[in-house]
Amino acid sequence: MMKSSAFTPPHPPPCLPLQGEGWGGDGVVHAKPLLTLDAVGKRFGGLTALDGVSLQVNAGTIYGLIGPNGAGKTTLFNCMTGLYSLSSGRILLDGLAIHGLKPHAIVQRGFARTFQNIRLFANMTALENVMVGRHPRTHTGILGAVLRTPAARREEAEIRATAHGLLARVGLQHHARALAGHLPYGAQRRLEIARALATEPAILALDEPVAGMNPSERRDMADLFVRLRGESQLTLLLIEHDVKLVMGLCDRVAVLDYGRLIAEGTPTTVQRDPAVIAAYLGVGHSA
Amino acid sequence: MFKRAYRHLQGHPRLALLLVAVLLAILPFLTSGLLGNSWVRMLDLALLYVLLALGLNIVVGYAGLLDLGYIAFYALGAYFYAWLASPHFGLHLPFWVILPLGTAFAAAFGLLLGAPTLRLRGDYLAIVTLGFGEIIRIFMNNLDAPINLTNGPQGMDLIDPVSIGGLAFSGTQTIFGINFPAIHLYYYLFLAFTLLAIGIAYRLQHSRIGRAWAAIREDEIAAAATGINTRNIKLLAFAMGATFGGLAGGLFASFQGFISPDSFNLMESILILCMIVLGGMGHIPGVIVGALLLTVLPEALRYIGDLQRLWLGEVIVDAANLRMLIFGLALVLMMLYRPAGLWPSRQRQRELVAEGEVALHEQETLVDARR
Repeated sequence: MMKSSAFTPPHPPPCLPLQGEGWGGDGVVHAKPLLTLDAVGKRFGGLTALDGVSLQVNAGTIYGLIGPNGAGKTTLFNCMTGLYSLSSGRILLDGLAIHGLKPHAIVQRGFARTFQNIRLFANMTALENVMVGRHPRTHTGILGAVLRTPAARREEAEIRATAHGLLARVGLQHHARALAGHLPYGAQRRLEIARALATEPAILALDEPVAGMNPSERRDMADLFVRLRGESQLTLLLIEHDVKLVMGLCDRVAVLDYGRLIAEGTPTTVQRDPAVIAAYLGVGHSA
Repeated sequence: MFKRAYRHLQGHPRLALLLVAVLLAILPFLTSGLLGNSWVRMLDLALLYVLLALGLNIVVGYAGLLDLGYIAFYALGAYFYAWLASPHFGLHLPFWVILPLGTAFAAAFGLLLGAPTLRLRGDYLAIVTLGFGEIIRIFMNNLDAPINLTNGPQGMDLIDPVSIGGLAFSGTQTIFGINFPAIHLYYYLFLAFTLLAIGIAYRLQHSRIGRAWAAIREDEIAAAATGINTRNIKLLAFAMGATFGGLAGGLFASFQGFISPDSFNLMESILILCMIVLGGMGHIPGVIVGALLLTVLPEALRYIGDLQRLWLGEVIVDAANLRMLIFGLALVLMMLYRPAGLWPSRQRQRELVAEGEVALHEQETLVDARR
């Protein structure tokens, strides 16, 4: 499992699209990006879903991933989080290869995610959902659980307290005992984020977190993202269709179209990129 | 009157606990006095089935892995006991040595079964585990040659009864001037193990491990994406279930003094599964009720012949046929009218009963999504 880490390069690979400003959008070139995708490819049979996608995400940024439907955004998420295996390329988290690892091992390394079609444990309470999220950071085994050793009891109390804290953080403190499946849609999205946060990620990938929300809910979510980044130095990776939200929120944006990276840079640069405009407005096609 | 007494007890949990303890303590004497010693035997067997059901409940009820070969672990525990405490190999180790070893032996086989089946779910897993159960039984049936390990279809007998500190569980023993027939002693032994198993199952369910099992049952992909090592946690469920099965098997061997492959057929696996489905999957009180009911009910239905003679003067339908018919009918009706089981956990009830509501809820979600 660890074999690939031997190939970690000391510097970012040179094959990245370097248009736009320097790394991080603040003009400062950081030596070590948190997440590096190096020529990531994914084929399903004859279909090429991802074609040599390379990008870098720096720690503490909010990074947007946009593109038309079917561009391969969710596929890229699934590749990064270990649900799909790569056909080619590498993914490095904090300099260590994570491609080829099992999903739980990637979470263990500090990469958490949410799903486009919310995947909560619907018949468990909101609190229990977040408590499950503590799993990779806790250790009680069969013996500890059966004997209820002092260490196990301490850990259980910690799990519960942390889970309550996280629910409060996403604004669900009054829904702790509600069933996840019975929560309103927006609350379910928040709960999924709280569950992901419980795994103590360094980077959190959100797959269309504001889809189906009204403008005020969207603003609340955007506030939450900014707060998360500010409070806990969290790096956020965001798939989103709402271009306005992405442009207002993200430090950098990558645009996918037909599995290829067609643009990468600060929102303002990307917005002016002719390839992006063509992909979104269908220049060359009759609309 | 009962209602008032019940309410009163609800307010006094200690008193209720004391009453239950006294009832459990005098139950074998009550039973033998009212119904005869054969019913005390039934009680002993019922407790073994409770143990088995609690074990299978970990695999099926908690982790959601449908296991149709669970009886194999019961068989392994029983044969393990017989190997180390019968004239077959001339070994006569004490039971407190064999039981831990036997449960570990069964747990090892639990891992062995679990490992290749981890990628399978639902129907496919059920078929593979069913095959495993049959393989073990057929092995037991045929391992009398070239080396006679299991004595084949004849089975192994003269298995040592349990003996604690010189007190052998055979014949009638007098303790403090009270006569305890062996089946009474076994009752207390099995009761102790059952209570222990209940405690273990309860604590596991309400622990980090239990939550991980529930998460896997609910959504395996989400569980993996939440950092749960689904492979290990599933293996753990198989191993824990096998542990309970192996323990019950060892107790069964010493209790019966005789085991043969016939005792470990597919019907037994299905019966245990019925117990937990009928009682309420994933809910310990439900599982216990299911196990007791499905052990006692078929026996009680034997009296149908006597009832016919009493009311109609003659036996019109053979009791043996009728009782299985009624038993089957009872199962069908139960599943129709209480699909979540007799005494389901709140969570299971929601999973099963609320399906109509879920559809409605999804519609609402869609409406939300369109906003």
